[in-house]
Amino acid sequence: METLKLRKITSVWIIIVLTLFVVAIVLGILMRLNQGEIIQQSPITFYGNMTTHGLTMIGIWFVAGMAAVNYLLERYVKTSYAANLFALVLTVIGVLMLWCSTFIGEFHAGWTFLYPLPFKIMWAEWATPLFLSSLGVLGLGWLVWSISLMAQILKKYSISQAFAWQHFHKNPKVETPPFILITMITLIGVIACLIAAVILLILFFIEYFSTGSFVNDALLMKNLTYFFGHTIANEMLYLGLAVIYELFAEVSGRPKWHTTWYVALAWNLSLIFILTAFFHHLYMDFVQPEGLQIIGQIASYLASLPAAGVTVFSILVAVYRNKINWSLTNLLFFIGVAGWVIGGLGAVIDATISNNFILHNTLWVPAHFHTYNAMGNVLFSLAFFHWFSNQYYHHKERQNTLKLSILLIGGAGFLLAFYIGGAESIPRRYSTYPSDLPMGATLASIAALFASLYLIAILIFFFNISKKCLKILSSSPQSS
Amino acid sequence: MQQSILMLFLGLLAISTIVFTYVYQSSQKATDLDRGMANPLKSRFWFLLILFVILGIFASVTIPKSPYYFYADETPSRVVHVAAKQFAFVLSNNAIDPKNPVGENAIELLENELVEFRVTSFDVNHGFAIYNKAGQLIAQTQAMPGYVNKLRWKFSEPGAYSILCLEYCGMAHQIMRSSFTVK
Ligand code: HEM
Ligand SMILES: [Cu+2]
Repeated sequence: METLKLRKITSVWIIIVLTLFVVAIVLGILMRLNQGEIIQQSPITFYGNMTTHGLTMIGIWFVAGMAAVNYLLERYVKTSYAANLFALVLTVIGVLMLWCSTFIGEFHAGWTFLYPLPFKIMWAEWATPLFLSSLGVLGLGWLVWSISLMAQILKKYSISQAFAWQHFHKNPKVETPPFILITMITLIGVIACLIAAVILLILFFIEYFSTGSFVNDALLMKNLTYFFGHTIANEMLYLGLAVIYELFAEVSGRPKWHTTWYVALAWNLSLIFILTAFFHHLYMDFVQPEGLQIIGQIASYLASLPAAGVTVFSILVAVYRNKINWSLTNLLFFIGVAGWVIGGLGAVIDATISNNFILHNTLWVPAHFHTYNAMGNVLFSLAFFHWFSNQYYHHKERQNTLKLSILLIGGAGFLLAFYIGGAESIPRRYSTYPSDLPMGATLASIAALFASLYLIAILIFFFNISKKCLKILSSSPQSS
Repeated sequence: MQQSILMLFLGLLAISTIVFTYVYQSSQKATDLDRGMANPLKSRFWFLLILFVILGIFASVTIPKSPYYFYADETPSRVVHVAAKQFAFVLSNNAIDPKNPVGENAIELLENELVEFRVTSFDVNHGFAIYNKAGQLIAQTQAMPGYVNKLRWKFSEPGAYSILCLEYCGMAHQIMRSSFTVK
């Protein structure tokens, strides 16, 4: 079972994630205020904040999922504390380096740092190598952590068991718990995209140090960038789903979920779809081979089948006409799944090439990915944080409805402004909007207001959860 | 087009919200005697099958409408070369020299003639997005260094059109634009 050390490091992760989340939301609100012309920031400040916001958010929700999975994995296998700590230290160092490059060095190439933009220096000379190195540091920490978790799983389960292949036969002798299966599938995706990131960084650095004698291919770099960016953003959601499979039934007072042949099949298939769906980021690059474009659309469509037919359907079946012990934990899970579905619908619409032709790089893009992040994955992690900290310091849950309502109303208003903006052809990543697109600024101001409500709800969660995590940190072995 | 996409989305949003709310309420009313869904495996199968068919129809209707196939069997009567460079577009009737990128002062196109835009970039990635007078995005492709993206289009309405950069390219991305007219 879990050790005190694991409990403490998980608390540290939670406090770090929530603190950085508050900062990153504030940056987000500042961006919307600037786009709404309520405040005036220089474009450099705006795009610097945009870069910081994007990467910080991706980073924290990835590690939040990893920390939760690591904590729960201890129920099945022994995990490495050293790897967990290593990732923690490198994450802190990486984030500090990243913030130095953006806040002090004014690096502002966006979180996707699309080649060759980082080389067109519009900031301090040193900011580009520092930014790229910060990614290297983060990537190294996460790669070691992921590989370590996977190695621990493979010590107990054979490869075919970890993928739950024995469930394709009648009456399998051993059951692979759904949590192990999903964690395994997700870690493979994580490791694949982190390796792509390493290759990408190496290519960047070769060109950087070659001083002109080596030039990269822009199309290849774009493919690598989105293979990394798309995959990591998706896998962090899947980490959240693994947690749901493990905890939803438990906290609801329902029988534990089991792996069946269709659960095994669905998750094995998702691995393939997840790794090929990223092609939808390159639809507007007409020189990309046409076959890959079509694969992009079909894989994006197919990816929704196991997700909807197995995970979402299972949640609905678990709840439908069943008596459930509703608490903040499973309410957050349940609402989060709804948010994930809704964001997914926005994504499938945009993954249709003929729609992408008029939606690509409009606000429709942040609209859908903020839906399944801010109203999906964030809620999965908050649910875990709440459940985790409540195990040791249980307080009576008060005013759940109020907290959730503020979160939902704030989130919905903020997101709707993005969707309407997308339908109004408002470009994404514009520090201010041109005067011939007047809706842009209006929508941005409204969004800033709703996002502030969302922030208030998050602050309430932040205080409640961090308070308990701090107590866990100061607890001694005897008292536990 | 954008408006119908938004309506489709809002419709799906409403359906999902109703389903989740309904399921949640059914659990609140449930007693210990309730046994949940009658035959979940069968419903799951039907749900998946319906979803698969809907997505299949969607894919087969939309894929042929992808921009790669626009007027593929016609010969364009007009070619416009486009080179993007931080933070401006160069438009020309002739190929553009990277060493000396100059273009036409004004580009005029004819209503309903088939135009091919040959779009590239001389530095970073940019976007080449055409907006109509009403501020609606009607067509786009990317401008990528080292590659030429060909976009074919027929303008059915005369008037002034704007070109906006739709790929983040640095601190003046939001003011990088150009225009042309259709007569
Ligand atoms: C209420 C909370 C949030 C606010 C107010 C907010 C606001 C924003 C804004 C205004 C942008 C720029 C949009 C544009 O392109 O014009 C943005 C981009 C982005 N946001 Fe958020 N956001 C929030 C939550 C999140 C969350 C939870 C994530 C989690 C992954 C996230 C990830 C991103 C990413 C990856 C980008 C893209 C950055 C880039 O284009 O380089 N945001 N956000
Ligand atoms: Cu641009």
